[in-house]
Amino acid sequence: MARNRYVRKLKELRQNVVDMGVLTRRSVEDVLTALETSDTALAERVIANDDEIDKFDRKIESQCMTLLALEQPMAKDLRVIATSLKMITDLERIGDFVVDIAEEVVAMGKPIRIPVSATKFDELVADVKSMVADSIETYAGGDIQKARSFEARDDRIDFLYKNIVENMVNALAQGKCSTETVSDVASLLYIIRYLERIADHAVNIGNRVCYMEEGDRRYLK
Amino acid sequence: MNNAIEISVKDLDLWFGKFQALKKISIDIPKNKVTALIGPSGCGKSTFIKTLDRMNDLVDNVKITGEVVYQGRNILDSDTDVVELRKQIGMVFQKPNPFPKSIFDNVAYGPRVHGVRKKANLNEVVERSLKAAALWEEVKDRLNESALRLSGGQQQRLCIARLLAVEPEVLLMDEPASALDPIATSKIEDLIYELKKDYTIVIVTHNMQQAARVSSNTAFFYLGELVEFASTIDLFERPRDKRTEDYVTGKFG
Repeated sequence: MARNRYVRKLKELRQNVVDMGVLTRRSVEDVLTALETSDTALAERVIANDDEIDKFDRKIESQCMTLLALEQPMAKDLRVIATSLKMITDLERIGDFVVDIAEEVVAMGKPIRIPVSATKFDELVADVKSMVADSIETYAGGDIQKARSFEARDDRIDFLYKNIVENMVNALAQGKCSTETVSDVASLLYIIRYLERIADHAVNIGNRVCYMEEGDRRYLK
Repeated sequence: MNNAIEISVKDLDLWFGKFQALKKISIDIPKNKVTALIGPSGCGKSTFIKTLDRMNDLVDNVKITGEVVYQGRNILDSDTDVVELRKQIGMVFQKPNPFPKSIFDNVAYGPRVHGVRKKANLNEVVERSLKAAALWEEVKDRLNESALRLSGGQQQRLCIARLLAVEPEVLLMDEPASALDPIATSKIEDLIYELKKDYTIVIVTHNMQQAARVSSNTAFFYLGELVEFASTIDLFERPRDKRTEDYVTGKFG
């Protein structure tokens, strides 16, 4: 195998993106645990942790630019670098939404009280968690078929999101909320909006991984 | 979009003695486009390009079968007028090879051979050819100087002007910039880009970035085979064959 140093640098790049992805996935899981258990200390740790994700973002961008400037990457190598360069922005944005959720948890400081059934909310949380995990796994070499199902899974998330919003608005309109729960409802509306956006970024990652593996630019639409 | 075919090659086999240098090559060279041929040393790309204007005829012990159809005729047929063929399909080589004559006489050489005698006509064709080869502004005041006093890059553009003077249809270029510095190289590349409007160009290059920059389509040759022929963007972004992938990413062998 020729170009040993280059091959090693590409490998390092991919490992860094995977490490950033794992860190981001853990943040998503932690913030949702913090939300569920009203663990403000955990939420604070998640907020502090975002610096690490941002550091990865800058480091990986620099690695990509060095490879592009010095190695004239082609074919799959080029697609790996282009995908990594775009994907870290998705991960970084997911990290920012996690911080937004964590700040809501800290601000509430107590278990969330909502006037509707929690089933759909629990389903939304579970779906978003698994999509983030799957998007990173496909980049790391997992089953690309999973990435192909992302659009359909995102449709389900969008449906849940709209459904919950509708229920909340109805509850507010029908005066089912006490003075105390109104602010919880407002927080929850923000939180599910952030979750829905996180899923959109996971879809982006899935599409980019499909492009990386197969080279078809239709995935970049 | 123009999808016309300039040269259609079918099942081309070529042997040097017992060594088979080209194996069942079939490829359609599109008209008014730049087609790049890439591949490692000894892959057959230079042998292939030479077949397009019968330059391999000059090699001993060569055997060629198959078809190279140009203007409705198989140019490999023994009754092909090779002089006329090379007027229509001209070649530029790796090292510039101007004649040890003046700049003017280099460009006027071909037209004179083909019977142009009047000074006014020769002046016109020399100026037109040097302009088309993007050399006129640099040499218009010293046309009677020896061509050997020009820089390497200028000599190569002079060789291109010399080809253009006989009004060819196809320009074959075998590593035309590999002996030149980056500035002279970029002038040749700009020139190729301009020339493709009026000519069909086939270029052999070791420099993959050059192929990527100048060509519309790229053919990858390996061990005498045409492994893959695709649009240049496809070949460099998503090659279909593992051997192409390994070659363009530099991980061959």
